[in-house]
Amino acid sequence: MKILLPPPLESPPPEQSFWQNFLLLLGNQLRVSWNKLRHRPVGALMGMAGLLIGAIAIIASLGIYAYGSLKALSPNTVQGFLSMLFMVGLGAQIFFGITGAFVALYMSDDLELLFMAPVPIKAVFAVKSLVIIGSNFLTVVLFAFLPGLFCGLLFKAGVSFYILVLLVGLGLWAIGTAIAELINLLVMRIIPPHRSKEAIGFIGALAGIIIAISFQLPNMLINSRNKFDIGSWLEQQKQMLSVMKFFPWGWGSSALVAGVSQNFLGGLAWSLLILLVGILLFLVAFNLVEKGFRRGFISLSQGERGKRRKAQAEEGSGKLQKAPSLAFLMQDVVSPSSPWLGMWAVAKKDLLSMKRDTREWFGYLVPLIIMLFFVGQFLFSSVKTSGSTLMTVLIMYTIMFSGNMALQSFGREGESDWLLNSVPLAGWPVVWGKLLAAILPTLVLMEALLVGTALAIGVSKTLIIALVVGAVFLALGSSSIGLFYSINNCRYNPDTPQQRIAPGASLFMYLINLFFILLLALGLTYLFLPSELVFALRDLPAVTYEGGLRSGLFYGIYLLSRPLLWSTAWRVFLGVIVTGGIWAAMFFGFMAATVRQSRKGFRVEIIAGRKKRSR
Amino acid sequence: MESVLIKTHGLTKRYGAVPVVKGLDLEVKSGEIFGFLGPNGAGKTTTIKMLTGLLDPSEGEALICNYDISKQPTQAKSLMAYVPDQPKLYGKLSAREFLYLISALYRVPKNVVKERAEQLLNLFGLQERADELLEGYSHGMRQKVVLASALIHQPKVILLDEPTVGLDPGSARLLKDVLQEMARQGAAVFVSTHILEIAERMCHRVGILKDGSLIAQGSPEELRQKVGHEGESLEDIFLELTGGHENAELIKSLGEG
Repeated sequence: MKILLPPPLESPPPEQSFWQNFLLLLGNQLRVSWNKLRHRPVGALMGMAGLLIGAIAIIASLGIYAYGSLKALSPNTVQGFLSMLFMVGLGAQIFFGITGAFVALYMSDDLELLFMAPVPIKAVFAVKSLVIIGSNFLTVVLFAFLPGLFCGLLFKAGVSFYILVLLVGLGLWAIGTAIAELINLLVMRIIPPHRSKEAIGFIGALAGIIIAISFQLPNMLINSRNKFDIGSWLEQQKQMLSVMKFFPWGWGSSALVAGVSQNFLGGLAWSLLILLVGILLFLVAFNLVEKGFRRGFISLSQGERGKRRKAQAEEGSGKLQKAPSLAFLMQDVVSPSSPWLGMWAVAKKDLLSMKRDTREWFGYLVPLIIMLFFVGQFLFSSVKTSGSTLMTVLIMYTIMFSGNMALQSFGREGESDWLLNSVPLAGWPVVWGKLLAAILPTLVLMEALLVGTALAIGVSKTLIIALVVGAVFLALGSSSIGLFYSINNCRYNPDTPQQRIAPGASLFMYLINLFFILLLALGLTYLFLPSELVFALRDLPAVTYEGGLRSGLFYGIYLLSRPLLWSTAWRVFLGVIVTGGIWAAMFFGFMAATVRQSRKGFRVEIIAGRKKRSR
Repeated sequence: MESVLIKTHGLTKRYGAVPVVKGLDLEVKSGEIFGFLGPNGAGKTTTIKMLTGLLDPSEGEALICNYDISKQPTQAKSLMAYVPDQPKLYGKLSAREFLYLISALYRVPKNVVKERAEQLLNLFGLQERADELLEGYSHGMRQKVVLASALIHQPKVILLDEPTVGLDPGSARLLKDVLQEMARQGAAVFVSTHILEIAERMCHRVGILKDGSLIAQGSPEELRQKVGHEGESLEDIFLELTGGHENAELIKSLGEG
C-alpha cells in the first residue's frame, strides 16, 4: 500500500485567542462528561437519583427545622448562625475541593496531551479550574446560596438583597476552591503519582464516613428536639461569634445582615470585599498550580522523585559494587523447599499488600465504627441494650466480617492471577496462605474488640476466654466459606479495585454464613442450656409425625429439642459432637472445595467500565 | 539546504540537586531520523519531555523549528507531534472524536479535517471501531490512535517514545514506513527506543545517553569507527559504550562453562 501523507507544515498555523482555546477545551470537557454520563449503567443512574432524592429530603428537613428555629430571633443571632453555616460550608468546600482538584489535576490522563498541544497552558488550567469549581457547586448551594435565600425569605428582604447573596456566595465559592487548590498542591507534592488512586480512595472513604454521619443529623435533631434549641445555644456563644467577624465567613454574614437591615451599601462593601479576596486567592492558586506543573514541582506521570534518586545514588556510591555472577544458573538441581514456606510467602504477599494500600485499612475501620456505635449506645443511650445482646451482635459481626475479608482474597490478585496459577504451589499452600492472610488481621482486630467490649461492659473472665477461643473457630469457619466464594467469583475492576467479588456471590456467602451460625447455635444450645427454653419444653406435649411437610418440620424440631432434657453429661457430649462436627464439616468441606478449585486454576474476571474484558 | 529542526544547547534538568539530564547538545536536521538510545533511567524520557515542553529545563534551551519551546511554546508545539510510550487518551471519547479534537487543538482547517481523519483511520485499520469509546481499545489500538493523531496536523517534527511497543508486526512495519516517508518529505523524526535493530535499520543517526550525558552521537558507521570494532552490530556498540558488555561477557561465560 502506498502511503500518502500531506507534506509537513512550513510555518505555524494562525494563532487562536485565549478565549477560542478556552471554549474549545471546555467543549471537549463537556463532551467527555456527557459521554461518561451516557455510558453509565442504568443502575448507577438510578442510584444517583436515589441519593439525590435522599439529599434533597435531608436538606429540606434541616432547612425547615432551622427556619422554624430562627423565626423568633434577632438579626444579630441570625448573623451568628449564618457565620457558622458559612464556616462549615467553607470547610466542606475545602475537603471536597481537595478531592475534586486531585482528580482533575493529578489523576487526569489528559494533561500530558493538552500540555503538548499548541494551546496556552493557562487555557488548560482555566478549564481544569472550572471543573474543580464545579465539584464544589453542591456544597456552595447548600452552605451559601440556600442559607442566603432562606435569610431573605425570613426577613422578607427586597430584590437587591439577593445581589448580596450572589456576591457572597461567589466569594465564598472562590475562597473555598482556591484554598482547596493550594492545599492540593501540597498533597500532590507529598503523594507519589503511583499512589494517587490509593489516596483518592482514602479521601473518598473519609468523605463517605462524614456523609454517613451527616445523614444521621435529622434523626439526632428529631430525638433531641426537646433538649436542643439553636436560638438559645447561639445566644450563649456570643464571644465566639464576635471573633468570626474577622474571617470571610463573618464578612459574608455581616453583608447579609446589613442587607436585611436596609443597609444595602454596607452589605455591598462586605460582599465586594469577600469577592475580591476570593478572586485574589483564586488567582494565586491558579498561578501556583500552573507553575508547579510546568516546572516539574508536581510530576505529570509516574517516575522516581529526586529524593529517592539521591538516596539510591548515595547508597550506590557508599557500597562496593559486587561483580555480578550467573554461576547460580549452572548449579546442580537443588531439592525444593517445604510447601509451608510457599504458604507463608502467599500470606506475606497479601499482608504486605494490605499494609501498603491505605484503602484496605478502611475495610477494618468499619467494625471499629460499628463497635463504637454499639458500645456508645450501651453506655450512654437512654434505650438500654443488654450486655448479652451486645456480645451477640459482636460475635455475629465477627463471623460476617471474617467472611467478607476472606471474600476479597483471590480478587486481590487482580491482573496478576497468572502468577499463583503458574507457580508450583496450586492447592493447599495457596489456599491456606490466603486463609492465613485473611484471618490474621481480622482476628487481631476482632479479638481486641471482643475483649475490649467485654471488659467495658463487665463480662466475667471465663466468658471472655470462651469468647476469645470461640471467635477463632468462628472466624476460621466463616473465612473458609468466604475463600470458597472468592476463588469462584473473584473479579477486578481497575477503576474500583476494592470491589473484588460478584455481588450475587457476596449475597450467597452471607446466606451460607447465616446457615452456618444457625447450625452452630443448635450445638451451642446443647452446651449452654437456656433455662427458659427448658422450662417451656417440659410443659410441651409429645409431638408425633402425622405426614406432610409442616408436621415433619415440627416433629424434626421436637426431636432436636429432646436432648435438652437429657442428663448433663450426655447433653454436653452431644453438644460437643454437634458443634465440633458442624464446624469441622463446614470448615474442612469449604477448604477442600477451595483447594480443589485452586488445583484446577482460578481466574480473576477483569471488568473494564461496563464491559467484561476477556483475556 | 537541510535545516536544523531540533536543536538543544546545554539542556539540563535537575530534580533538587540531582541532575537527570546534563548539558545536552544535539541537532536533528530536516529529513533525518534520529535514534535516541540509552539504558533505563538514562534520562531519555526527561529529555523528550523537555523537548515537547512538558517539563521546563533547569538550564539551557531547546529549539523546535527555531522556536524556543520555553519562550514560544505555541508556535513550536503547532509544528510538532509527540507519541508517548504510554498512550493516555480520553477513555470516554471515540477514536473519531479524538482525531477531531486534536485537529481543533492544532488548528487544522475544518474543510480538510474529516477527509484526513478518515484517511488516517483507514491507514491504521481503525475505521470499523472508530466510533467506539477508547476505553475499550487494547494498548496496540490506542497506540495506533495516537499515531494517527500525531500525523493529522502535518508535523514538521515528530518525537516518539518507544513507539513500537504493543504494535503487531504489520503495524510496526507500517509505522516505520510512515516515519521514513515523513523524513523523505523533510520532517525531522526523533525516536527513543530500546530496540536497537530498529535504530540500526531505520535511523540515519543515533545518540547514546548514559546517566544524563550524551556519550556518543553519529551514524551507526561513525559509532563503529569510534569504538574501533568495525563490523559489529549497533547492539555491541551500545553495550560497549554503556557498560552493558559486562552482562554480555557473563552470558558468554555460561556457554563456555
